[in-house]
This record gives sequence, structure tokens and C-alpha cells, in this order.
Amino acid sequence: MPNRLEITLKSDLFDAEGEGIRQKATHYFGIDISSVRTVHVITIDANLSDDQLKKIQTEVFTNPVTQISSFEPLPVEFDWTIWVGYRPGVKDNPGSTAVEAVEDILGVNFGHEESVYTSKRFCLKGKGLTADDTDKIAGELLANNIIQQWKIFSKDDWDPETGIGFIIPKVKLNHIPTVTTIPIDSDSTLKQISDERNLALNPNDIPIIRKYFLEENVQAARAKVGLSDPTDIELEYISQARSDHCNHNTFRGLFSYHDLAADNLELVDNLFKTCIETPTLTLKERKSWVVSVLWDNAGVGRFDQDHHYVITGETHNSPSNMEAYGGAITGIVGIYRDPMGTGKGSKLIMGSYGYCVGHRDYKGNLKPRLHPRRLLDGVIEGVRDGGNKSGIPTPFGQVFFHHGYMGKCLVFVTALGIMPAMVKDEPSEQKDISPGDLVIMCGGRVGKDGIHGVTAASETFSEHTPAGHVQIGDPYTQKKMHDFLLEVRDEGLIAFITDNGGGGLSSSVGESAMFSNGCDIQLEKVPLKYEGLDQWEIWISESQERMTVAVRPEDLKRFLELSKKHAVESTVIGIFTDTGKLHISYNNKTCAYIDLDLLSSGFPQWKFDAHWQPPDKRGLFEPVLREPVDYEILLKDILARPNICSKEWITRQYDHEVQGTSVIKPLVGTGRDVNSDAVVLRPVLDSNKGLAFSQSLLPTYSLIDAYHMTSCTIDEAVRRLIAVGANFEYIGGVDNFCWPNIQYDSENNPDGRFKAAQLVRSCRALRDICLAYEIPLLSGKDSMYVDGYLPGRYGETHKVSALATLQFSATSVIDDITKCITMDSKMPGDLIYVLGTTGNELGGSEYYEHFGYTGLNVPRVKPDQFAPVYKSLGYAVGREIVASAHGIYRGGMGVHLALTAMGGNLGMEVDLANVPVDNIDRNDKILFSESAGRFIVSIDPQHKKLFENIFKDLPCACVGKITGRPDFVVKGIDSKVIISVSVNSLKTAWKEPFKDL
Amino acid sequence: MSKVNALVLAGYGLNCDHETAYAFELAGAKATRVHINSLIDGDVKLEDFQIMVFVGGFSWGDDHGAGVIQAVRLKTNLGEKLKEFIDNGNLVLGICNGFQTLVNLGLLPGFNHDYSKRSVALTFNDCGNFRDDWVTLTVNSASPCIFTKGMDCLELPIRHGEGKFYSDESTIERLVNTNQVVVQYSMPDGELANSAFPYNPNGSALDIAGICDPSGRIFGLMPHPEAYNHPTNHPNWTRQKEELKRQGKVFDMGQTIGLQIFQNAVDFIQNS
Repeated sequence: MPNRLEITLKSDLFDAEGEGIRQKATHYFGIDISSVRTVHVITIDANLSDDQLKKIQTEVFTNPVTQISSFEPLPVEFDWTIWVGYRPGVKDNPGSTAVEAVEDILGVNFGHEESVYTSKRFCLKGKGLTADDTDKIAGELLANNIIQQWKIFSKDDWDPETGIGFIIPKVKLNHIPTVTTIPIDSDSTLKQISDERNLALNPNDIPIIRKYFLEENVQAARAKVGLSDPTDIELEYISQARSDHCNHNTFRGLFSYHDLAADNLELVDNLFKTCIETPTLTLKERKSWVVSVLWDNAGVGRFDQDHHYVITGETHNSPSNMEAYGGAITGIVGIYRDPMGTGKGSKLIMGSYGYCVGHRDYKGNLKPRLHPRRLLDGVIEGVRDGGNKSGIPTPFGQVFFHHGYMGKCLVFVTALGIMPAMVKDEPSEQKDISPGDLVIMCGGRVGKDGIHGVTAASETFSEHTPAGHVQIGDPYTQKKMHDFLLEVRDEGLIAFITDNGGGGLSSSVGESAMFSNGCDIQLEKVPLKYEGLDQWEIWISESQERMTVAVRPEDLKRFLELSKKHAVESTVIGIFTDTGKLHISYNNKTCAYIDLDLLSSGFPQWKFDAHWQPPDKRGLFEPVLREPVDYEILLKDILARPNICSKEWITRQYDHEVQGTSVIKPLVGTGRDVNSDAVVLRPVLDSNKGLAFSQSLLPTYSLIDAYHMTSCTIDEAVRRLIAVGANFEYIGGVDNFCWPNIQYDSENNPDGRFKAAQLVRSCRALRDICLAYEIPLLSGKDSMYVDGYLPGRYGETHKVSALATLQFSATSVIDDITKCITMDSKMPGDLIYVLGTTGNELGGSEYYEHFGYTGLNVPRVKPDQFAPVYKSLGYAVGREIVASAHGIYRGGMGVHLALTAMGGNLGMEVDLANVPVDNIDRNDKILFSESAGRFIVSIDPQHKKLFENIFKDLPCACVGKITGRPDFVVKGIDSKVIISVSVNSLKTAWKEPFKDL
Repeated sequence: MSKVNALVLAGYGLNCDHETAYAFELAGAKATRVHINSLIDGDVKLEDFQIMVFVGGFSWGDDHGAGVIQAVRLKTNLGEKLKEFIDNGNLVLGICNGFQTLVNLGLLPGFNHDYSKRSVALTFNDCGNFRDDWVTLTVNSASPCIFTKGMDCLELPIRHGEGKFYSDESTIERLVNTNQVVVQYSMPDGELANSAFPYNPNGSALDIAGICDPSGRIFGLMPHPEAYNHPTNHPNWTRQKEELKRQGKVFDMGQTIGLQIFQNAVDFIQNS
């Protein structure tokens, strides 16, 4: 007999959660509600006595000071009440911790059938609140039907005795695990089955797969273990291993790149090799600080003699697009496993985020699954809980709004870790597996989670079918595992470690087995969340919070001891061998027996047609735009644009100083509210060495040329590091590509060849700029197919493709953090310098976009001219003669002078006539050009000579001074004052758009 | 003189154990990070320590009220030992999630030496969100609190979603009268915030940021002194450094005021 406990805040206490919902209902839907009260519901499906129930009610689930509770429905007043609970199989984190607490305080152990489920009941009061209003609030604010179910009761149809009733979202599969053999008599049969079972086998791979299973010696060997045709689990394994996600087939593809204007056709074989691998290996030769790249879960660089830092980044787009909160928290918690699985394992020291979404105030006719506003709310909260509850600071992030992300949003997550250079006298970045080592799965249990990704989204739900295809990350479980793994690492118990992410055990065990050249897995040993999974499901399930570890038999006892101490589940699921075979059995019956080298044997390379047409030939041109007159309102309007304005509401929700390492924070200045160029950490507490981190993305430039989008993005990330005092010689990069589908299709992807050409050009820019700036790519990932099909007003659907997007992350070490600087102006009387040349480069700029133009003259990066400026600025900062430094980024000089002034809350006087320019003679172009390679620097006048000497022969000019007066004053090139406004009013304009969030 | 031993709790989602241990080391103590289970199993003995620290984090995910399950687990498995530890004149510090745990254990406010009664609570911020910001704190110099001796005002970071101090009026009145209110959220100029956001970041009654027990040996606060373990942790340090430079002075890279709280604890044990 289940019991249902309802808990709510005492009526005189302010219900912040309820108030938040009330406000959103008003702001988002214009629905007026007078009050919302939240009732927490805990449904205990376990055999407990009344005394036991009473005990957990009073000692665990009810705070006597703030809450009341009852096993009967609570008589909280409402006109409408909405109950929201999870669907079966969705991770209910509070439910699991409730079980832990109940077992602990009562000294009982829950049986397999027993559990605790949490849900919520929202009590809405409001005159004239209709059923439709309530339904909208339930479906578009409180719940997402992919992971949640809800019930709505009006005051009249509510029964105070039964309340919401008893809803037990228990997974019941009633299914006997079965291995199915797949006939391969013809390519078409296999293709058909692949489609039916969502195997997603590439048609070009099918002949090779068949050929393998038809070979005589293969068949003979398989017969010995009782196998004939391939099993479903074997084909799932091959499909996972061959997927674009695991294999980067696109980047390793063969592009025939046709420059239409030059009528020149060339073959580009393998973008990964030519533009990422080769340059990085070349640089590794020159840069002794590059420790480990291109093979592990993340890249490794030297921090100091005794420590290495670890970095990687990826995206979690599709799941976030379906279920914003779940997708985002799964993404950030997931990326944290990569550094944990790098080398022998590292401690996480920071994370960062990047969100690309449609416009928050979108009012058009397209109907995305989630409105951009709701989607953004969800991803913000997902990364917040994932990062904060992991005890990892999230000090840096970006948000970019553009219609192109309506089809599919982008959620970038990046993670950094640190590890000792040596673990028990062995280099920490190295790991290996010997035959005989045990295969251990640590962390969470396995359910039907993430199987075949979102393809399951279209399935219809029954009362007890698990809705596991969209997951909810569990930072608590993973944090326990993180602490555990660091302790076993330091005791030298980890021979090899990798994470379970995409592809689950199939990828983690499959790839690990390459190191010993074989493995024997007993699948029945894998701990499950619930019974009834087929063998292939256990093998490829993407259930979160799991690591795969290789442990020497003699270390097993100690390993399991520590696992118990940390309350982490660890299970031996097999043994590594050197048989050359992936051998999987279930209850002693073989269900997979494959030669590991099959994957490296002659699968065909993917092929793409790429057509490049230069921007002018595509009809792009510079707008005919005469110079404006009212610069004050113009500047304020640009400052208030969504991609420029303050997003403090996000930054403050993220714990950016846990671990006590914060040196340069995300928000700086007297008001602590202006964005820093980059962040700096002190990851080793007793050392004054620092690690600087920055990111950039400038997808708008792709409208003109993805080559320059890429080079400008890298240049911005680099300047952001230089601006806080990072060392130019030690910069490492991480590339994250997000591209729409590049495979040409006359029907569905008519511009596929152009998108392919953009990718080729982007990769070439990555190669060129990284070689020029000497930035090895420590890590990187690509996420293709950023397209969506959105229903419109008349039942038609529209394909919406994202802008070709690259997020570039950059990191570098700082020898002495006490010399770091921030971007805010410091002292009245300080001189303001502009470094770098401002050119007529407004193509793709915020200024043009403000008027609805794209333009043609996209900014270009000139490394040979820029690098000397960066090195000189680094030198000046090292001499401690720079009071503030700030790069000039999106929005141009006007915006970034204003930000410098806001940061210091001091006035400034600037004369545009003194700005170093190239072929540009208009105030608006000087103020809003987005030319790369530029900085705004302020210095103590007494350092004038020394400073100007350092920049002798470089583009550098004193353009004005910081003043004690509160005004931001700009003189035009004809020495007339074109702007004179209070710094305060600029800040108000910049903060206005999201000030209520 | 024998080392002062500080026990820093870890595990189950706690996450400030490293920097808290570091802060105590800087203050001259020998700090040991101890997993909650090692303490319960008896692998580590509470008797070997003079200072016990409940650190920040999200114990058990804080899914059922911040610090609630940690309190339940420690009370169930360690209740008596904790009481002995306190009766032996030792020190207990609770930071953020640790403060939340202390009030749920009843170690705070500990009226009449009753260390089991829950009479105050830390509940959801009025702003409705987790918030990371620096706050100004005024120290009640009349408080018996050992940890804040000789301090009048300091800035520290807060990082929480459930930091709103709440209780009935009589309890709060009593806390005031007994000077158990130790630190209060204030304006930059030192005046009490008087509930003004963001100076009082969570809507705490009477701007209360931290309280102690009547003996002053048990102290809990929402802000994070361990996160101000280095001068460069301060949000405005680059400005302060530049301003001092102009006056021909050098920015002090020595001990921060945040560390004073740990220093006071260590000194107290050493001198007792």
C-alpha cells in the first residue's frame, strides 16, 4: 500500500518558487494569477509501518520551522491545482536521495519493488483563471510531456479525501531479454532492418559489414561459440562505432571543393588530418608544454612542474532542444566525465557554457517544440544545477540569439580539470591495459536511457513505458564518483579509465578493449535500474554518471573498499584479453563475437560536394547608409541589443568561486557587474600561478564567409586572454564546430554544397590562424545536422538551419596572478590608448544588423600585424604599467569604450580623430567597425613614455583620458562632440533588457 | 606546542572541503578531510580533533531541504559523539550547507544547552534563485562567538539558493538578546542592509547571515570565509592594487580577513 506525503511552506512564509511561476505566467502568457503555492509530494511505495512513516515525516521530510505536511491532501486553497510528476523511467534525483535517507534513518533496505517518487502540486488562485489558462501553464511552463505527466483539477472537481490519487511511475517491462539474429542475405534486407530498428547503419557500410560476416573463417569461428548471422547487439556495436558522433566521418570525409568564381576544383581529403591533427602535432614539437593531445577524452597541457591541466568541450544540442533542463544538465554533467576519464583521471576545476537560441521575445508563426524563452530558461537552470551541485565553478559563458537556432538550439559545455604530473611515479597522462585486467563499471545503473538518442521521441507512451530517451543528469551521484575516483587514482589503483557517454558500454568498453586487444564481457553482471532490458539495450544504453575502469586483479579488493566508503556502486563486468575479439556473453551464452580490427578495415570514406561562391558573387554588398546624427540614442540602442546587453541574471545563478580559486571573476568593476574579458583561476591553492580561460563565437560573420568567422572567433578568444595578462606563448585551443547538414540534396538540402564549402573554409582558417598564433588544438568536437523542421501557421513545415558556428575556447597559464588586470577604468586622469587599426570592416557587424543589413566587408585577421601588438601588451602588463585592458569585440569601439567606462564608473573623453584607422573616415564606422586585433588600454600618465616606447612602430595611439566627471564624451573626427551622456545612463540602457530576470 | 587538529567533513556531495582544509592549514592547524562514512565507521575518531567543520556543498543533493539529510545521517549515526565533542569544549564551524546542517541538527541555536531542537531554518532565497555575489557583513562585537573575535566588518562571497534565515519572532528576539546573532548583511558603508536586495541577498530576517550557540564555540554562517583565502579572491582587488600603487603603497598579498575566522579558532584551541 503506497503512502503519499504532501509538504508545503507554512502559509505566512513567502513561496519564492510559486511567485516565480506567477510572474512567468504574467510575463510569458499575460495570464493573471493572484498567487501560486507549491506543494511537494512524496509517494512512498514501500512496506513501512505507521510509526516508521511518522518518523520519516517529522525527521526527514518536514522542517518544523518552515513547513507543514500530511499523509492526507493538504487543504491549500486554490481555484485550480496542477499536479506534475515524472514519467516512468525518468531519473527522479530527489526520489533516490529520499530512499537513501529513509533507509538510513529506519535502518531498512528497500526491496527491488520498493521506491520513493517525488512530484509537485501547484495551487493557483486567480479570478477568471480558465481551464485553458491552467492547461497552458501546465504544458508550457511547469511540465514537458517528454519527461513529465500532469493532471489538472478545478476547485469543484477536487476531492479533498483522495486528492491527486496515487500515481506510481514504476517501470514495468515484463519482457524476457532476447538476442535477435539479423539475416544478411542481401544489402537491401540489412538496410531495411537497419531502418526498422533505428540501427542507423550507413548504406555504404552495409556491404563491408555483410562481407565480414560472410567470410568463411569468420563464420567458422562464430560457429564455435554458437553464433551464425550477426546478432542485434553486434550490429548495434558496429553502428555505434561507425556513427559520425564516434568516428567523425564528416571531418574525415573527402570533399571535392569547387571554387566557382575561380573555376577551380580541388580534392580535400580529411579535414581532421590536414587542418587539426597535422598542425597540432607540428606545434607539439615546438611547445614542450603540450603533454597529451588527439587520443584521450580531453587534451592535457602542463600547468607547472607538478601539475597538468586538462580541457575539452562539446555540445548537447538535440536533447536540450527536446527537454531544455534535462538536456543541459546531462550535457554539463556529461562533459565533466571527460577530464575524469583523461589520463588516470583529473579533478574538475571549472566549467563554461555557450547558448545559441532563437530570440527570447519571438512572436512569429513558427512553432518550435519549446519557445526560445522557455528553452533558454531551461538550459540556464540545467547547467546551473549540474555545475553548482558538482562543486565546480562556472565562471565563463556566452549567450547568442539568432533566428537560425529556432530549428535546433546549441548548448556548448566545456570542462577543465587538473591532475598531478605523476601518480605513483607514473606519468598521470598515460594509461594502459594488460590482458587479465578487470573491466569495472562505476557509478549509476543502466536503464533504457538515451537509447538511439532522440529517435525514440516519437514513440507513444503507455503508463509504464520508460521515457528514458531524454535524460536528467545526476550531479550528486557523479560528485560522489568523482571524489572516489580521485582517491583510487592517488593510490595507484587505476590502470585505465574512460567515461560512458555516447554509445554507453559499447563505446567505452569497445574502445578500451583496443588497448589490450580484446575483452570478455558478462553482460548479466551489469547492474540495471529495472529488469527486462534486451542485451543490446544494456550494451548501448547511455545511462549517465558511469565510468569504465580497468583495474589489476590484485587491486580489486582495495578498489571496492574505497568504492563502498564513497557510497559508489562498482561492478566487475568482465575481463580484458588479447584475443583480438570483442566477446560478450549473457548467462554464459555468447551474444557477440567480433574481431576488433573490423572497424579499421576498409569502411568507405564519406564524400561531399562543396561549392564556394565568394560573397560579392552571392549578391552581398555594403549598404548605402548615410552617417547618423543622434549618436547618443544610437549607442544606447546598440548597448541594449540582446547580443550586447547585460546578462548578469545568468552569471549570478552560477557558482563561479567554489573551490576558492577565483582570481578574475566573470563580472568586474566597481559595481561588479561588467563582463570581464576572460576569467583566471588559481587551481593550485598554494601557488600563485594562474590559468586563464576565454571563449568566443561570432556566427554572424558566416553570413559572409565562414573563413573569416573562424579567424575572427579565434582572434577574439586570444585577445580576451591577453587582456587579463595571460601568456601569448602558452595558449591552447578547443574547437567546437556546430554546422547544418552539409550533404547536398536537391530536395531537402539544396544549399548543402555551400554549407560544405563553408566547413572547408572554416577548417582552413582554423589551421592558418592556429599555426600563425602557434595555438595547438588540445581538444575539439563537431556536431553536424544543426537543422530543424518547424511547423508554421498553415500546417506547412519550414526547415530552419543554424548559422555555421564555431565556438573557440582558449586557455593559457599565468606565471604570477598578482599581475593580472581587469577591463574597468581605474583612475581619473589616466590616458586611454587604442591598440590596433580600425578598418572599414562592418560586414556582419552588430551595427549593420541593427539596421537589418549584412554587408560585405567582414573583418579579417592579420596575424603578422596583430601578434607583435599582443606580445607587447603582454610585456607591458608584466611591467605592471597597464591599469586596464579590454578587447574591442562585437559592437565595436563605441560599445567597448562604454563598457570600460561603466566598469570603472568613471567618465571619459575620447577623440575619434586620434584613433589609428585604415581607409575609414566616418564617426559611425570608427565607433562600430568590428575590426579584429584591437584593444582599449588605460594607463597612469607617468608611464606614458615607457608605454609608448613599448608600442613604438605599432598601431597605438592615445585617444583620450579617464575623467572624474560622470560623463562619457566622444569627439568626432571633425572635433565636434557627438556623444556626451552620463556613464550611468549608458549602464542603465545596457542593463535594461533583462533587468527583471 | 601540539598541532591543532581540524576535521573537515567530505563526501556525499559536499564540495568546499579542499579550500576549507587549506584555510585551516594557512591558520596553522593540521586539517584532515574526512569522509562522513569514515567518521561513522570509526576509521577516524572525533576525539582526535579539536575543531569540526561542516563545509559547503550540496549534501545528498539538498533535495529535501538543504542540509536536512546530512543532519539526519549524522544524528542517527553519530549523535552522542557530537554531543561529547561539544561538551569537551571543542569548536564547531558550519559554512553554508554546513550552517544549514547545524540548524537542522539543532546544534544551533542550542538554547539552554539543548543541542537537538530545530528552532531556526534556512529556507529558499526570496530572489527565487541560487545567487553568487559578495556581501558586506557587520560583526556583532558583543557576541560570544570565538571565530569572530576582534572583527567588526568584512566582505565575503555568498553562494546559495537556501540562505534565508527564518524563525518566529520570539526566537529571533532571543538570539538578539543573547548576542547569538554574529554576522549581519550590511550596506557597503557598514549600515545594516535592512532587507535591501542585493545587500541582504536572500531576505534573511534581521539581515542575519550567521549565528552562534550561547557558548560561542559553535558558529554557522551562510557566507564563505574559505573562499576568501587569497587577496586575489576579492572582486575588486585589481582596483585596490592600482589605487594603492598611485599612493606609492603596495597591495598586501598577505593573510586575508576571511582567514581571520580560521585563525581565531586555531588560536582559541592553542590558548585553551
